[in-house]
Amino acid sequence: MHEFSIACEIFEQVLSTATAHGASEVKHVTLQMGRLTHTNPEQLSFCFKVLAEGGIAENADFIVEMVPPSLECECGYTGTVDEKQIRESSELKSELLAYVAAMECPICGKQAHITGGRELIVKSIEIETEKED
Amino acid sequence: MLMHVIHMGHDVFKANDKLAEKNRKKLDKYQVFSVNVMGAIGSGKTTLIEEAIKHLKEKYKIAVIAGDVIAEMDASRFRKLGVPTIPVNTGKECHLDAKLIEKALDEIDLDNTDLLIIENVGNLICPVDFKLGEHLRVVIVSVTEGDDIILKHPMIFKTAELAIINKVDIAHAVDVNAEKMRDDILSLNHDVPVILTSKHDWESLETWISFIELGLKKIQNK
Repeated sequence: MHEFSIACEIFEQVLSTATAHGASEVKHVTLQMGRLTHTNPEQLSFCFKVLAEGGIAENADFIVEMVPPSLECECGYTGTVDEKQIRESSELKSELLAYVAAMECPICGKQAHITGGRELIVKSIEIETEKED
Repeated sequence: MLMHVIHMGHDVFKANDKLAEKNRKKLDKYQVFSVNVMGAIGSGKTTLIEEAIKHLKEKYKIAVIAGDVIAEMDASRFRKLGVPTIPVNTGKECHLDAKLIEKALDEIDLDNTDLLIIENVGNLICPVDFKLGEHLRVVIVSVTEGDDIILKHPMIFKTAELAIINKVDIAHAVDVNAEKMRDDILSLNHDVPVILTSKHDWESLETWISFIELGLKKIQNK
C-alpha cells in the first residue's frame, strides 16, 4: 500500500496552500482520482485524516471524484468509458483495468492510447478565514 | 468568518513525472543508459540483473540502484560482482519514486558510468504510477506466478517497454503455459518485445542482455 506517502504529499500541498491563504480551518478537500490509478480512495482518506489530526484540516471533508478512463487512437477516434457504463456492467466494474488496457479502437482496430484516468489531482480546498484577505 | 474555495489543480503523479524528467535529462547529459527493472518478489529480477552485469562489466561501467524494503541484501549481491551499488531502503514503501532516484543519483559517479540498472521494489502494482526517469521500463514475470497473473496486473504490462517471462524451464512443473502468458502480454501491449528466459539457458539470457546493449549503443551514439 502506498496511500500513506501519497496522502503525505496531498496533506503538505493542502496545508501550505491553506496557510498561504490565511486559513483558520480547512472545510473540504476535493480530489480527482483516475479510475486506472493504483490508489484506493478509502485508504487515502483514512491516511489523510490520520495526518490531519490536531491541525486545521482535522475536520475537513475528504471528497474523491473518480475520473473515468479516456482513450485516443491515431486514426482520430477519442472515447471515454463513462461512469454509468462502469456502474452498470459487473464485468467492467471488476475487470476495468484489463478491459481498458487491452482496448482496441472501435473504428480502426489499432490499440488505443490511454489519455485519461491515470491522474490524481488535488482539485480544490474550501477554507475558512478569520477575516477578509 | 469567511469561506473561500481555492483551486489548486496539483497532480501528484505529474509532480513525480516532472522530477523523473529531470533525472532523465541528467542521465542523458552524462550519456548513462538506465533500466528500471520491475517485477514481483521471486520473479528473478536480481538474478537476471546479475547475469547482465557479469556479461557486460568488462565492456561497460555499470552502477546499480537496489530498491527494497530492506535493500542491503540485494545490494551486497551486486557489490560482490564489483559494481558500485546504492541501496535505497524504502521502509514501508512498496515502490521507488523519482525523488528517491534523484537522491541516489547524487551518490553515483555519473562521469564514470555507462549503464545504470535500477531494481525496483518487488511487486506488480505500486511501481506502475511512478516514473523514475529511466530509458527502458522492464517488467519480469515468472511462470511460478501462474498464467493468469498478466491479466490481473494489466497496467504494468501496458506501460512496459520490454517484458520478460522468466523461469520457463520449470513451466511444465508448475502447470503453466508460457505461450499463453506471452499472448496475454501482447493483448495488452501489441508492440512490446517479449522474451522467454531461464537462467539455465544462456541463449535466452543473451537476448535480454542484447536489449540492454542496444540501448547503450543508442545513447552513446547520440
